[in-house]
Amino acid sequence: MNVSSVLIAGGGMAGFQTASSLRELGYAGDITIVDASTAPPYDRPPLSKDYLLGSSTIEHLAFAKPEWYVEKNIALVLGSAITALDPDSGTVTLANGRDLCADVVVLALGGAARKLPLDTGTASNIHTLRTVEDANALHAAISVGTRLLIVGAGLIGAETASSAATLGATVTLVDPFEPPLVPVVGLDMARYLHAHHAGSGIRTIQGSLTQLIADDSGDYVAAVLESGERLDIDQILVGIGITPNTQLAVAAGLEVDNGVIVDSNHRTSHPRVFSTGDMARTRTADGELARRNEHWESARLSGTATARGILGLEPDHADSHWFWSDRAGIHLEVAGDMSAAAESVFRGSTQDDSFVLFRVNGSTLVAAASINDSMAVRAARRIIAAGTAVTAADLANPAVNLKKLTRGIAS
Amino acid sequence: MSENKFVVAQDGDIEDGEAIKIDRAITGADDDIAVFFDNGEYFALNDTCSHATASLSEGWIENGEVECPMHSGRFCLASGEVLSMPASENMRTHRVVLENGDVILYPGVPAGVKA
Repeated sequence: MNVSSVLIAGGGMAGFQTASSLRELGYAGDITIVDASTAPPYDRPPLSKDYLLGSSTIEHLAFAKPEWYVEKNIALVLGSAITALDPDSGTVTLANGRDLCADVVVLALGGAARKLPLDTGTASNIHTLRTVEDANALHAAISVGTRLLIVGAGLIGAETASSAATLGATVTLVDPFEPPLVPVVGLDMARYLHAHHAGSGIRTIQGSLTQLIADDSGDYVAAVLESGERLDIDQILVGIGITPNTQLAVAAGLEVDNGVIVDSNHRTSHPRVFSTGDMARTRTADGELARRNEHWESARLSGTATARGILGLEPDHADSHWFWSDRAGIHLEVAGDMSAAAESVFRGSTQDDSFVLFRVNGSTLVAAASINDSMAVRAARRIIAAGTAVTAADLANPAVNLKKLTRGIAS
Repeated sequence: MSENKFVVAQDGDIEDGEAIKIDRAITGADDDIAVFFDNGEYFALNDTCSHATASLSEGWIENGEVECPMHSGRFCLASGEVLSMPASENMRTHRVVLENGDVILYPGVPAGVKA
């Protein structure tokens, strides 16, 4: 197919990167990014951190300045959601009634924050955190002494707990798992991270909610835990994961199974439609459905891979899985799969402000997580990607330069 | 330009793929300056990443680029050009030269410009 126009539905990381990579790869045709938000494409990780704290602005979060879109000839159509997609003609219909047509449509709509099943949907003091609008609402709701209940102690819940505590809120963090995040960071690191909350004055509770109590206005004033404990609250944040925004794809007849099914080129079951980022789920060459990734880096790489797919180029080399999280005094980085079967090797100790936890299988580095030592994880990413042989003794020895290990230079 | 220049190291002090940070109190510049040694060449950029508060002198230096230690934004050492998100603004360069074994920094003079 000769592609002379690409319409990208969604201006998050994956959608923006698709556009940016198309230009980097030399594509000279039309590119349009459509997003329901009125804000030009922006970076979301700071929403639970600097932005929530009020120390960043939406302008600073922007992926690119307005002149970049002019220079790259990328059109932005903002402020209107897409209500329908006709794959055969490549037409999307916007909420404002306008139709847009393109040779290729890329679905990069991300996910929607999951709602609490107990929530009746009428309270004004229950929040999720996914967009800049969400962050603005949450920021406005938090002041010194605000009793904030956070349901779900995943990355967003934990980061927001830290930021809200910094803003002076009294934070309670409830999660059914103790410690939370084990599948993401492994047991050793999960324990360390969870214990850190107490130092920030955050109360953590293992459990789940059985009831939300509303006042006459419909706002929630208390939550009841399965233990029977009643928590009096002013605000609630729910951070219990996302569901992919597949409604449009389903209605358009695309193959969907907890995500829009794509091949390794990010093409969906319709040849004119691609999908990328959080909402896309890859069917591998051997027919298996891979797990959807919901991290920043995977969204970025996914955007590049999608641009290559649109242009008929072979997929490029995918880097090992990597993400970060920032909370009070802690910069966490993780590369690889921390929950895969392997042995833990520490460089430094969890008693320190800075340490690295490697996961090693024989001479193979499987994963690494660091606290305040990101260079160790940058080294680990390269070692994992290249399959460089390592020894537990070298990894554990702070005198061994990890950067030199990436070049296969043993101590 | 003025004679605003500083000997910041001796050749060999900075290992390949490493950097040092020169405090703004020394240079009078508006930011600390990171002086990098990569593959036999010296480069200097403002030290504070244009994206978030992090020191590029502590970044990953390789193939003429530095990757920020915080969120992995990448910059070209020679031009300061931003190469990867989440950073979106270029970094300011400074001229740095090697003379008779001295690594000499010209704060405020862009790389490639004769002092």
